[in-house]
Amino acid sequence: MLHTKIIDIKKDKIISSNAEEFIKSSSYGASIIFTGTVRNVNENKEVTGMTYDSHDNLVLKSFEEIYNEINDKLKIKDKAVFIEHIKGYVGIGETSIIIAVACKHRDQAYILSRYIIEEIKKRSPIWKKEHYKNEESEWLKGNTININ
Amino acid sequence: MKIKLELFGASRDFSHKDHLEFNIKEKIEIKDLRKEIINYLNKNFKGNQSFKKIVETSVFCSEDNIIINDNFKILKDQKIGIIPPIGGG
Repeated sequence: MLHTKIIDIKKDKIISSNAEEFIKSSSYGASIIFTGTVRNVNENKEVTGMTYDSHDNLVLKSFEEIYNEINDKLKIKDKAVFIEHIKGYVGIGETSIIIAVACKHRDQAYILSRYIIEEIKKRSPIWKKEHYKNEESEWLKGNTININ
Repeated sequence: MKIKLELFGASRDFSHKDHLEFNIKEKIEIKDLRKEIINYLNKNFKGNQSFKKIVETSVFCSEDNIIINDNFKILKDQKIGIIPPIGGG
């Protein structure tokens, strides 16, 4: 059971209750909702907001690949996974990503939630441009995608 | 042959548009396209080193959303995406 979406902030909103509803509908006993938000300081610079850019098709494809690998890599067969990521400008404290997972057991849910966010950071074509109090902005350095 | 290079992340600073266009006489590989982009940066941004580094560390994707390597041949008009180093989430 998988739900994925890129939320273009100009047209749509990221709503945590959507994740809660999705997880409830799965009827598994253990669930975790991970929320990433924009923080106000990074490397001693005062941050005022963040612009997220994404290659939407590749990002959604990467979310599906990550989900499809879970059986083999983590041996978690029964699961529900909800992933939504923002695209566009968001301010301090606003949500950039929601990953909600539900499994039969709590140890599986913790492992699965952590696995998904770490894989997204490594594999999903999403970029961040930080905006600072002095009105400057900067694309954050990232990691080159591995070509298999 | 016309290649539309779609810009993402840090490469968006290469243009005020969301893409660059290259008119290429013969079929080329991604490694040649990389050189074309660097030539463009030399002409338009005086060889801005940080921009050139973005190109050197980027991968590319085809219009059917597959990450392609430097030996991928571009044989016809098409869109190619440049994928700079990533860091979302």
